[in-house]
Amino acid sequence: MSSSLSHPPAHLPPAVALQLSQQAPVTLRSTPSVISSYSFTTLWSAAETPELWTEYENLMLSCLRTGDEQSAGVCLERLTERFGAENERLMALRGLFQEAIAKDDATLKQVLEEYETILTKDPSNMPVSKRRIALLKTLGKTTEAITALNEFVDSSPTDAEAWAELADLYVTQGMYPQAIFALEEVLLITPYAWNIHARLGEVLFMAGSSGDTSTDKYLAEALRRFCRSIELCDDYLRGYYGLKLTTNKLLTSLPQASRQSKSDSGLPIPDIKTVERLNETATAKLSEIVRRSVSGESGWEGYENAEVIAAKALLDSGAAKSIR
Amino acid sequence: MTWISKSVTGLGLLLLTHACYSAHEHSALHSTSTASLSSMASHTAVASTVASLPIDISIETVVAVFVICLGLVLGTPELRPIQWRVWAGKIEREGEKGFTNSDGNVDKDYVGNPFRMLESRPGFIDIRKQRKEFAEWVREGGGTAGASKS
Amino acid sequence: MAQIPVQTIHRDPQLFYWILIPITVVMILTGILRHYATVLMATTPKKQELPAIREQRSLLRGINLRTNANAISPVSFQARKDYLVNAYEKGDFLKEPDKKGQAAPNPMTDPAAMEGMMGMMKGNMAMMIPQTLIMGWINAFFSGFVMIKLPFPLTIKFKSMLQAGVATRDMDPQWMSSISWYVLCIFGLQSVFNYLLGSDNAASQMAQQMGQMGPGAGAQMFGPGVDPDKQFQAEAENLSVLAQEYTLVGVEERLLETVRV
Repeated sequence: MSSSLSHPPAHLPPAVALQLSQQAPVTLRSTPSVISSYSFTTLWSAAETPELWTEYENLMLSCLRTGDEQSAGVCLERLTERFGAENERLMALRGLFQEAIAKDDATLKQVLEEYETILTKDPSNMPVSKRRIALLKTLGKTTEAITALNEFVDSSPTDAEAWAELADLYVTQGMYPQAIFALEEVLLITPYAWNIHARLGEVLFMAGSSGDTSTDKYLAEALRRFCRSIELCDDYLRGYYGLKLTTNKLLTSLPQASRQSKSDSGLPIPDIKTVERLNETATAKLSEIVRRSVSGESGWEGYENAEVIAAKALLDSGAAKSIR
Repeated sequence: MTWISKSVTGLGLLLLTHACYSAHEHSALHSTSTASLSSMASHTAVASTVASLPIDISIETVVAVFVICLGLVLGTPELRPIQWRVWAGKIEREGEKGFTNSDGNVDKDYVGNPFRMLESRPGFIDIRKQRKEFAEWVREGGGTAGASKS
Repeated sequence: MAQIPVQTIHRDPQLFYWILIPITVVMILTGILRHYATVLMATTPKKQELPAIREQRSLLRGINLRTNANAISPVSFQARKDYLVNAYEKGDFLKEPDKKGQAAPNPMTDPAAMEGMMGMMKGNMAMMIPQTLIMGWINAFFSGFVMIKLPFPLTIKFKSMLQAGVATRDMDPQWMSSISWYVLCIFGLQSVFNYLLGSDNAASQMAQQMGQMGPGAGAQMFGPGVDPDKQFQAEAENLSVLAQEYTLVGVEERLLETVRV
């Protein structure tokens, strides 16, 4: 289980998180409670590894998620013992702990005030400012969170995580152009992140289906983004799913759309034959992935169940339409 | 495949040991015999006797080295993909299962999709929402197996 | 037989117990001591103020834009380029915008730079002082002993290395003197320290020497004495002459060619 402990647990399915936190007391007992960097016993005991502390942090997050506050408290205590209460990351973790155990909004507001006092003392404390933004979001003050996050990315514009968060916040507000800008900024930092390419495609698709101006331009861009994400990652389910959705939509809209809608900036909309071929490819690939994944062929077990089911539903709806 | 490579390597090592032992025995026997034959052997004579190792021992050594190489090459694990798209596709398609070693453990350096962080964003996690979702999941019966355990 | 007769020197076994082992033990213990002394003396890296972080990361953003420009559309690239070049030239991201145009401060008078130098000095001192002391100690007590014989033959070139302090012309280079043993210990105890103290210990001087030879590029980039304004101007120039090539051009044809269903 240590392999899942060494990565941040936010995306783990609930069952795994539960399993992790159930093992927490055992894990806590088996690992040494105090490792001092100066004690003489370090000569004989196993060397302290950075992984150990990452595991503590992740274990704490899992425990908080499943409501095992006692174990989470123990993790926090040990981390504090090792790194001291003034450590930036620990300040953020302690705040997180308080957020999790807070009973009502009043307590949460207190935590928020605490963050603000920390930040007035030391404005360069990145982890705590991130927590503050997250807490603002939790409290439902999305616009404030966006403002704070904008300030954050102004002072630290190479933080891909912050840009991605900003993009998500903008999407929740329906401000697609801004979200696209933020996602492009993420891509400038990690140009080969296939999931970000797919995400950008999704946002472009949403922008294209919600707005009434320049729909085709957005859709064409989304189509290309999905293509790029597949180009970066073979058999990328999310990419093919998006590709199929976009091509479906483009195929319905393109015939009516006048050819003059070509904008002078940006790429031209791909011609209808290409779109059709892409649609066919996406359909074929999706059905292959769904077939192999459902039958549980070896080497095709990595897809998430929910995604496969969604792909299957999309394929079925497409099939029903063509039969009619 | 592994037992083949292991047995081939073992055979090679055996051959190599035998070759070494033969060479040692040969030189030891030879030097004692020459020493007993004449104590006046010139320096060049000594050099020539050292150089004249029987051909079968040399052949055995070379063959042994090649056999060991063959065994080791046969035993190498499957090569990792070096093309970005193939590697990424492997992560997406196979998940953890694609990166297990022969003991069934997931490789230490396996991180899954390294860019997943950008979507899960541990620095910004909304712990209260996660707790709520987890509680719902338990209520829906997902936690029955866990509840019986604890 | 024309072989050189094997030299035999009868050594007192006490030499072994009272010289060889003490030198080794002392070397190991000083290594450990040095490690802990360095750990204790190390100052925590000074926290950077927010404007300084902003300055560095804004420059990095420009560099990122330059290297990964192909990932975004020409329109977006143009907008970013215009913004960044303008801001760089005006010096919007500078730590102290009003100091723009002034020469970089002298690194000797800059307190921040001074601190870094002090750290380096401390590291050097922690290495130099024990070595001098031990060298003197060995010279005073143990010089001139022949201690061990290496189990393999060596050419005459090694004589000066292995028999320092023993001026005997005809002795086989396999024999080793106490000072040479000390020198060998300095270089040979690396793996012992790795085992005892972990791989990134301060006792290993090899790592320190390596560190002195090639200080990281990051330190060079934002080190003292570098004028950030000049860097910004250079980056602005780099950005403005960059020719962008959008990766998404023709991606659908590329995809259709490569994907086999």
